Amino acid sequence: MTRLTRREFLRTSGRSAGLGLLAAAGVAGCAPALKGDFAPKTGRRVVVIGGGWGGATAAKYVRLGDPSIEVVLLEPNRRFVSCPFSNLVLSGVRSIDSLTFGYGGLRGHGVRILHASASAVEPDARRVRVGEGYLQYDRLIVSPGVEFQWEQVDGLAAARDRVLHAWKAGPQTVDLARQLEAMPDGGVFVLTVPPVAYRCPPGPYERACQVAFYLKTKKPRSKLLVLDANANVVSKAGLFRAAWKDYPNLEYRASNKVVKVDPSTREVTTELGDRVKYDVVNLIPPQRAGTIAVQADLVGADKRWCEVNHLTYESAKHANVHVVGDSTIGLPVPKSGNIANAMGKICAVAVVHLLNGKEPPPMAPGNTCYSWVNDREAIAVVNAYKVEGGKVVQIEQKLTPGQSAEWAQNAVGWATGIWQDILG
Amino acid sequence: MRTTIRLVAGSLSLMTGFAAGASAGPLDVPGATKALACSACHGPGGQSPSSTIPIIAGLAPWYFKKAVEDYATGRRPSPEMEPYAKYVREAGVDDVAAYFAAQSRQPTAVAVDAAAAARGRVASQQCVVCHGESGRGDPARSIPDLSGQAPGYLRNQMLLFKADRRSPGDQAVKTVKELMKSVPDDTIADLAAYYSSLR
Ligand SMILES: Cc1cc2nc3c(=O)[nH]c(=O)nc-3n(C[C@H](O)[C@H](O)[C@H](O)COP(=O)(O)OP(=O)(O)OC[C@H]3O[C@@H](n4cnc5c(N)ncnc54)[C@H](O)[C@@H]3O)c2cc1C
Ligand code: HEC
Ligand code: HEC
Repeated sequence: MTRLTRREFLRTSGRSAGLGLLAAAGVAGCAPALKGDFAPKTGRRVVVIGGGWGGATAAKYVRLGDPSIEVVLLEPNRRFVSCPFSNLVLSGVRSIDSLTFGYGGLRGHGVRILHASASAVEPDARRVRVGEGYLQYDRLIVSPGVEFQWEQVDGLAAARDRVLHAWKAGPQTVDLARQLEAMPDGGVFVLTVPPVAYRCPPGPYERACQVAFYLKTKKPRSKLLVLDANANVVSKAGLFRAAWKDYPNLEYRASNKVVKVDPSTREVTTELGDRVKYDVVNLIPPQRAGTIAVQADLVGADKRWCEVNHLTYESAKHANVHVVGDSTIGLPVPKSGNIANAMGKICAVAVVHLLNGKEPPPMAPGNTCYSWVNDREAIAVVNAYKVEGGKVVQIEQKLTPGQSAEWAQNAVGWATGIWQDILG
Repeated sequence: MRTTIRLVAGSLSLMTGFAAGASAGPLDVPGATKALACSACHGPGGQSPSSTIPIIAGLAPWYFKKAVEDYATGRRPSPEMEPYAKYVREAGVDDVAAYFAAQSRQPTAVAVDAAAAARGRVASQQCVVCHGESGRGDPARSIPDLSGQAPGYLRNQMLLFKADRRSPGDQAVKTVKELMKSVPDDTIADLAAYYSSLR
């Protein structure tokens, strides 16, 4: 996190109103100026933790739903980098720039953005800790995404700088693309898939397609080895397996959970005791809810994910705290950006109703996950849901009958639409 | 280890209308909350910013309801729309139709090749009898508005008509399908460019 320069600090501390300070701190980043109640609440306030797919959407839609509610969004990153489509950066089909957006649109909706991390939540006092200070809220929306369970893979914690996950789009995506590019022809690229539940069920298999496509066209003597902790391809299995017929360079091994990595010998070890050599490894670690959700005691007995009310996304554990996105569990939905966006909207509407003393209407999410199988074709899975007896239930799941350029074009349409829905 | 990520310099088509800050409108009418699931693809308020996903803001309710019914029953085959159409039926099609009908429709922000649009204008003479000079169609005869619609979507639909994949056996579209069979694919692309450029 950046420090306030002296000039910026003087400018921010010169403002009397807390919100002016907040706005300026947002420009300058997390700072020593954040002490005590650094932006006293004047009206009704919603604080949102995390400006990703769920949180940014929720922040925007609370403002759309009731502009008299103040919304403060906490997000350490200054730019939003889209995980969806980031597998295409590995094959060189897209640039990371084309997936990177600013938060200007949200500011246009009156969302106050503070580029800082929440360090703790105090549900009884209705406060979020930031730096050495805190922010008061009427309702809190938490969307911190996933955190990696580094300790589940022996040797991983110490090798985090070399053994990449690229499972949060950004610098690691670019670095993994570089490692792939630098790999000698004839090399072995090992991709490991964590056990469910993890972010984006089809994501690892889409990544396998993109890496295999790249190797097939650029390094024809190389091989991709997919070591999957699960007993079968977790999502769209038939469609992925059909797509892989074009990739004789791809070897898929189910029920091969990786439990150890050793960068000095360039080797991973599976639960079965098999040792596999790699030239480049992409180890996607097991996952749980974002750290703040764990610290704030929002996770359930599994210590991994957060249970929520299906209509309001209010935490099963703490009142006035809502959780959306990948951190949640218990709904029959995948951990996808599309679902995080849907939850963000529904939660926002519910929060607006609750803050206005009204009963929230029942609202169901929807999901579509497109996966690119090469540089021009995609497949998709679509889920429709309804609310029944206070719970979300699936109406139907539909797959594309095969892969085509048409669905790839619709994938572009989806991305364009949903990025606008989140940030525009 | 820090890699700098530059601010959006992405392809233009992906960024069209992004900064416009389109509003989803007030959220407390019944249709608005039921339509929340649609903006993921169709954009806020149904004003799709992309080329292949149609703008559904301002759709006439009669046409909207027909489309939903056709998707739900598979007469218009779409792996995306079939589940969502079933969702709309569950949620209440009248509310959702009313919500989108009430959204102001802006022409697509996707730019098209001017030469293609000019060629399309010439070819559109065969369409005028039904869709009218302005491309606005005629609700009385169940003919939809094509003006300002997303170009990729218009093109795809014409190709679906041509291949008899949209609403097979539907008498209402028999003539338009016969006509499409005589139109070369290149001309179909020109026609899509032309109608999408109408303001
Ligand atoms: C390679 C890949 C491909 C994918 N493809 C698709 C796809 O095609 N379609 C799809 O629908 N989904 C896809 N996904 C999944 C999608 O990216 C996630 O489901 C989505 O990002 C979840 O949203 P979220 O809000 O829960 O988390 P995120 O979007 O990760 O947002 C969490 C945010 O919270 C912030 N944060 C964390 N802790 C704090 C704190 N203490 N204080 C303040 N801020 C904090 C983080 O900085 C982050 O910005 C893909 C994922 C990957 C990795
Ligand atoms: C996953 C993306 C996606 C979502 C979400 C989605 N749609 Fe669609 N929609 C499409 C695509 C793609 C088409 C074009 C399909 C075709 O080829 O006919 C379409 C077409 C339509 C049409 C036909 C428009 C016309 O001019 O004929 C209507 C109406 C429609 N959608 C309504 C909705 C509604 C209402 C929702 C929300 C409940 C919704 N859609 C959600 C992708 C989506
Ligand atoms: C005989 C009347 C008739 C003629 C001539 C005609 N159309 Fe149509 N068109 C229709 C009708 C009716 C529909 C609506 C179909 C439905 O309800 O599913 C339609 C639908 C369409 C659609 C789909 C719109 C949407 O939103 O999904 C496109 C695109 C289209 N026409 C283009 C054309 C073009 C281009 C021409 C000229 C080459 C043309 N049509 C000529 C009657 C006609």
